[in-house]
Amino acid sequence: MEPILKIESLKKYYGKSKNPTRALNGITFQVMPGEFLGIMGSSGSGKSTLLNCIATVTRPDSGSIAMKGRQIQSLKGAALSDYRGKEIGYLFQNFELLDNLTGQENILLPLSLHSVPEKEGMERLRRLASYLEITDVLQKFPAQMSGGQRQRVAAARALILKPGVILADEPTGALDSKNAKALMEKLSGLNQEEKATILMVTHDSNAASYCRRILFIQDGVIFYELRRDLPEESQQDFYARILNVMAQLGGGSANVL
Amino acid sequence: MFFKLISRGSRRNRKENGLFFGSLLVTILAFYMILSMPRQDVMLFLNQVESQAIDKLLTIIPVFYGISLLILFFLIYYASKYQLERRRHEFGVYLTLGMRRKKLFVLLLMEDLQGSLLALLIGLPSAVLLSELTGLITARLVGIGIIGHRVSFSLQAVVGTAAGFLLIKLAAFLILSGRISRQEIDSLLMEMPEGVKKQQSPFFYGVCLFAGIFCLAVSYRAAIQGIAWSGALPMGRTLLLGLFGTFALFMGLRLPMELALRSGNHNRRLHIFQFRQIQETVVRRSGTLAVCSLLILAALCCFGAGVSIFRFYKNSEPHLLDYTFTGLESEEAAASVRRTLEENHLEPYFEHLFEMRVGHIRTTDDYEHAFRMESILSAIRELPPSEATNVLLNNLGYETYPYLISLDSYNQLLTAAGMEPLTLGPKEAAVYMDREFTRDGRGRLLNYILETEPEVVLDQETIRLTGEVQTTDLVTDRSLTLSFALILPDDRFTYYTQGHYGIYLDGILAESAKEKGSLLTVISDLNQQMNRTGLSYESYLQNMGRQLFYMVAASYLTIYLAIIFLIIANTVISVQFLMSQQKSNRRYRTLIRLGAPYETLCQSARKQINWYFGIPAAVAACSSLFGVRSLFAGILSSDMRGNLSELMIASASMILGLCVVEWIYMTAVKCSSDRYLLTLTVPMREE
Repeated sequence: MEPILKIESLKKYYGKSKNPTRALNGITFQVMPGEFLGIMGSSGSGKSTLLNCIATVTRPDSGSIAMKGRQIQSLKGAALSDYRGKEIGYLFQNFELLDNLTGQENILLPLSLHSVPEKEGMERLRRLASYLEITDVLQKFPAQMSGGQRQRVAAARALILKPGVILADEPTGALDSKNAKALMEKLSGLNQEEKATILMVTHDSNAASYCRRILFIQDGVIFYELRRDLPEESQQDFYARILNVMAQLGGGSANVL
Repeated sequence: MFFKLISRGSRRNRKENGLFFGSLLVTILAFYMILSMPRQDVMLFLNQVESQAIDKLLTIIPVFYGISLLILFFLIYYASKYQLERRRHEFGVYLTLGMRRKKLFVLLLMEDLQGSLLALLIGLPSAVLLSELTGLITARLVGIGIIGHRVSFSLQAVVGTAAGFLLIKLAAFLILSGRISRQEIDSLLMEMPEGVKKQQSPFFYGVCLFAGIFCLAVSYRAAIQGIAWSGALPMGRTLLLGLFGTFALFMGLRLPMELALRSGNHNRRLHIFQFRQIQETVVRRSGTLAVCSLLILAALCCFGAGVSIFRFYKNSEPHLLDYTFTGLESEEAAASVRRTLEENHLEPYFEHLFEMRVGHIRTTDDYEHAFRMESILSAIRELPPSEATNVLLNNLGYETYPYLISLDSYNQLLTAAGMEPLTLGPKEAAVYMDREFTRDGRGRLLNYILETEPEVVLDQETIRLTGEVQTTDLVTDRSLTLSFALILPDDRFTYYTQGHYGIYLDGILAESAKEKGSLLTVISDLNQQMNRTGLSYESYLQNMGRQLFYMVAASYLTIYLAIIFLIIANTVISVQFLMSQQKSNRRYRTLIRLGAPYETLCQSARKQINWYFGIPAAVAACSSLFGVRSLFAGILSSDMRGNLSELMIASASMILGLCVVEWIYMTAVKCSSDRYLLTLTVPMREE
């Protein structure tokens, strides 16, 4: 099977002095279709830079990122917009819902941005809303929703155009544990049932335990890789293994505990 | 370092916020223009002719200046607020780095002062130049000529402008910087999203919309039917209804926008987003937008009032006579005037010089019954009742002792005017009424009755009134104004007046004299020569001076106010839009993340700008159709009011002018908005 996302020797240095900050120092990995990949690491390890490079928010210094075999660094103008909207779906830590749009309008926003007729998205909207349990809040404004509902609406927005990869940047960062668990279950469900490819950056070992594979990044390089042995390994066991790696990595919650 | 910061901050303010700097310059121009008005050529000239009126006008200039200070304070306040708001984060950083609040205050004050001084440095010379140019153009337009032009530069005006400008700038600065420097550092550092205003129920917005439309409709009706002009109370009621209606309409606009949003085509790019943005800004600032709309309406009405006053005085009387020598009791006195003119070599200036003989009935002492026109009065009574018939009945009922005019002298007047002379039989007379008594259809009515050649009784003798009502001015200005007079054949005139009548020697200037310059300068020069002869006279100069005064006063003050109102309304709208755009920067960033290209964002913002400017301007334009018509109704006579097409052309041209001004502002704001959106996209990619 061909990988959906292929990252090779990706480098991104900040600062022009003799000792630049090496946010990404030649990272190479692949993401297979339908995979739920977690990226973990301490603050400043380069995980957010990696996500931003894939999201074309940050331009890497060298290396390549190929989405479905197409180099994304060369994308410009309309092609770049199409990539951002259709190939990837972005799930923000702070939801980033437009507070003057209702839930439904927020979810349908990518359709409007990419000139997709609204009718085509309505059926998918209904299915997503029902699955993510947000049907009741579709006509409400974000200010009238709970944090969990907001993030689930944001998830529906990220999924509405059936993107190739969902990039989730600390999606549980602004949620309490109950809402975080509910969101991760839904994301995991989407991954299993819809074969949605998810690339999630997180600090949260609990959230990471829903992934199939986790890349640990330190100082801009992949430090360690964990794979969950399905179906033998339970989520609890996988969580324990994650905590172990985090402890070795330093700066993780296990180190503190 | 501190001074470098001040200088850089001030320079950046000017560079990034041209709109603000532009407002400062406009304020300086406005102040100087109003303060230097007394030094304008046209005002100096009018001061010689209509000194009383000019004195009155000049006494209200300080009041105007005071009002301008107050109005422009709000302009500066809003523009400064935008300026400081966009630098909140920077101030937070300064404070975090340990800058004392006092020092921050001094930094801002110095920056402000530097900007103000530069604005004065550029603004004052421009203002002097503009004032000079306006003075020259006005002088040329009204025909004073520019040869005797005196530089209108006034040190007093410069000092007044600088003082007023710095005063309002300082006041606005103190209020705003006080507010900023009291805030905690974290609130300065944090981006302040606007948040969503509490929504009311659709029913509430529906009621507002309905109430707004209803109040505006009632107020429009009162305005165009002239009810508003019938007294202070109806006028106050109309204005209040209009004000309330506008506020309620803006508040209720959310409902039709919501309906349009639901039924509109959602497939257009960012359609819902931009609609929600407009809806939010319109509702959140419905009060401000209503005020802006009312300001634009006030500007249009000022233009309307200016135009109508201008037209009223321009069209008031066609001009024929240039001079009238007054106070002549006998033919000998008239001959003596002619001799004096000849002796002083002034006669060649005149193409026509003729006596206008006007007297009273001397054959009877019964002033109550010297003249009776029952046939005319009963004919008027038989007509359908109207304002014109009422006024005519009222006026003519008292005309029992009318003036008499000699047919011969009146025919000389008609001949000079290039009109057919009157022919009257021995028992016939023609009716003369001054033009101002035949307005509002009264002349038409009377002509209709005179077609039947009604019989009237003049000192027990029955005579017939023939021809149309005569209205050609008997004298050049105001020495004689007749509400009703009879033109009689000369023998009958001599009989009824018994040879006791007054003479007015009328003169019309020769073409050769008029060619020496504009009529105004020719008469002005001739007056100086006349004054040396000791003759008692009135010239067309007074008449012209009066017209000119009203025309100049109307155009100066109304256009001045209109421009100020327009500028304030548009600056407030511009600043509000740009501020709200900056505060919703997170939304734009999210859209960029979701793949919105820069062009789409700009397009969406541009559409929002169109709506944001368009809604208040459209409401104002609509109200102005009624407001201006009402002003015309209140100021102009009904004859001129009847000319609807002309009124519509005047209104349409004003609205066209408004469109041009709005377009200029919208273009400026669109450029600012595009630049701002670019800053949201570019740095993120170059991180």
